Amino acid sequence: MDLKKGQIVHLTTGGMTCTVIEELGRGGQGTVYKVDLGGKKMALKWYHIPPDEKFYKNLQKNVDAGAPSDAFIWPEFLTVRENGSYGYVMKLRPSGYYEFGQYLLARHQMKSLSAIFAAAMKICNGFKLLHRYGYSYQDLNDGNFFIRPDDGDVLICDNDNVYPQGEKSGIMGKARYMAPEIVAGGIPDKYSDRYSLTVLLFMLIYLNHPLEGARVAACPCMTEGNEKKFYGSEALFIYDRQNNTNLPVRGVHTNVIRRWPAFPKLLRETFMDQLSQEKLKNPTTRMVESMWENVIAKVRDTLVICPKCRQETFVEGSQTTGKCIECGAQFDITRRLVMGDRSMVLTPGTCLFIDMDNKPDIKVQTSSSGEMMLQNVSTSSWNVETPSGKIRQVNVNDCLPTRPGLKISFGTSIEGAPNAKAEVK
Amino acid sequence: MSLIDVESVPRRTMTLFFLADTSGSMSGNKIGALNDAITNIMPMISEISNTNPDAEIKVAALQFSSGTSWLYDEPKSASDFIWQDQSAGGLTSLGEACIQLEKVLHRDGFMKSASGSYAPVVILLSDGGATDDYDKGIEKLKLNNWFKAAIKIAIAIGDDCDKDELKKFTGNLEAVIEVHNIEALKQIIRIVAVTSSQIGSKSTSATDATKQDQVVEEIKNQIDNVDGANTAADPSQATDDYWD
Repeated sequence: MDLKKGQIVHLTTGGMTCTVIEELGRGGQGTVYKVDLGGKKMALKWYHIPPDEKFYKNLQKNVDAGAPSDAFIWPEFLTVRENGSYGYVMKLRPSGYYEFGQYLLARHQMKSLSAIFAAAMKICNGFKLLHRYGYSYQDLNDGNFFIRPDDGDVLICDNDNVYPQGEKSGIMGKARYMAPEIVAGGIPDKYSDRYSLTVLLFMLIYLNHPLEGARVAACPCMTEGNEKKFYGSEALFIYDRQNNTNLPVRGVHTNVIRRWPAFPKLLRETFMDQLSQEKLKNPTTRMVESMWENVIAKVRDTLVICPKCRQETFVEGSQTTGKCIECGAQFDITRRLVMGDRSMVLTPGTCLFIDMDNKPDIKVQTSSSGEMMLQNVSTSSWNVETPSGKIRQVNVNDCLPTRPGLKISFGTSIEGAPNAKAEVK
Repeated sequence: MSLIDVESVPRRTMTLFFLADTSGSMSGNKIGALNDAITNIMPMISEISNTNPDAEIKVAALQFSSGTSWLYDEPKSASDFIWQDQSAGGLTSLGEACIQLEKVLHRDGFMKSASGSYAPVVILLSDGGATDDYDKGIEKLKLNNWFKAAIKIAIAIGDDCDKDELKKFTGNLEAVIEVHNIEALKQIIRIVAVTSSQIGSKSTSATDATKQDQVVEEIKNQIDNVDGANTAADPSQATDDYWD
């Protein structure tokens, strides 16, 4: 039963109520209303047909546990059962975010490559936290993710379907996004989520489904049986190392054909590993989210501003000369900031991300004399040791020159990497 | 072209077929409601298509009375499709309608999308019984692989409808929806077209239920809120006909 404007809905928390303001949207499962909750505007999802008792109890548990991170538009209050159904209250989705599907349809476009990789990082982080809380994400599809094109910030929606691992919610995601073992009838868990994460990342980065190449395009009618085959029993990555029968087709799979060779080798290798037949068939061998975060951090370390055209470009890590993927100009990439196994390429205008929070920690600037400088854009001061052993403090917004041998101790200035150290090379 | 610029991912096509009975018995309110309902749902179908990365929805319509005719020579994008109001008159050539549908359900017919298709949705609307050789038509149609895979729903308009004929078309009585008044007809056209388009045009959910089962289940859930509609599998819910 639909709710009416002005209708009061009772919540399970301490006699609280919310009041319906207006309808925001209607989906297959339910209708979302804007509601007033003690003066605050929130969203209420109201189910057309109330899901069963198990679902209700699970929602209450998720409400009590709270959101894993601010990336999740999480159920914050549950309603009592009334008017023939029930629902839950969550934050309103802020403006400026668009459904992932809108990017796939090129109705919206990410504003920069760094925004794409920021979105990738945030999605990995969301999955990592979800699994750390013991949940799995069952109803995964392109309608659950909202991305801000300017900076790649991500909101993960439809979290009523988040269940403890090993339990099945009954509402399943689209076959295109589900792991082969789930398409074959299995119960989603963190391992199948990791496959879905790989698919999402591939689609975000290359704008193509990783299993949709020549073989799939040649299928005239994608019936349920064929979906079970192409996304389940006979799943084959378009760039499988051993089998080239499903390569992308020129004129059809345009985005991936352009981006695959232009984007870093590390990405290609990682996707070829994660979507190999071995990983498709052995769920427990799939890479954990924090490893994906490391890969994305390393890829971002090679994403720099071209000194000539000022556009973003990738440079392959070990080389001394970079070639811009946009203008073709060649430029020096010998100057690096090295941190453990990471080697961050320095060019003027490039931002460096030390931890995974998508906030730049260092900005490469040029001094009035034309020297490259590292600007501290983190939250507090660094200690810098010169090759001769002298210690200097670099406060927030101050700069230090990029002279080989300078060692930086970041101290507490970078939240996600306490006491990190790096050296200019 | 910069690497940040991309084009839409390749989408499959899902064709939504309307087979509309425009025989004499449809005259008056019935044909008026049908014209009105299909015109009004087109923006909804267009919206489903425009926001769907899995497939684009195209629409084709065949009217049948003493003969048959396609509204357009090829399926049109949901956003381009314009329903042309039909008038009622003549007999009920349902057998011929099956033959005509079978003719276009081929890759060199209406199903020639470059990036492939999902199985089509076929919605049959009729208020009577066939006046031609229905068995010949339906038997031929049932051998067509696209038709076998299609989501098939029939809307039986009023008590005079031959439900057994419609059952042969859909495969079972659950997918035959009876309507008994004008308002129910309009609502059921919307529910059936929207639900089947939503489910038919998307990658299947990872369950054992077929898309046809899912559509039937969803329609069943929604039918309870419509006065004067029931599935033919549940005639106990039927109300009296009222078409004035």
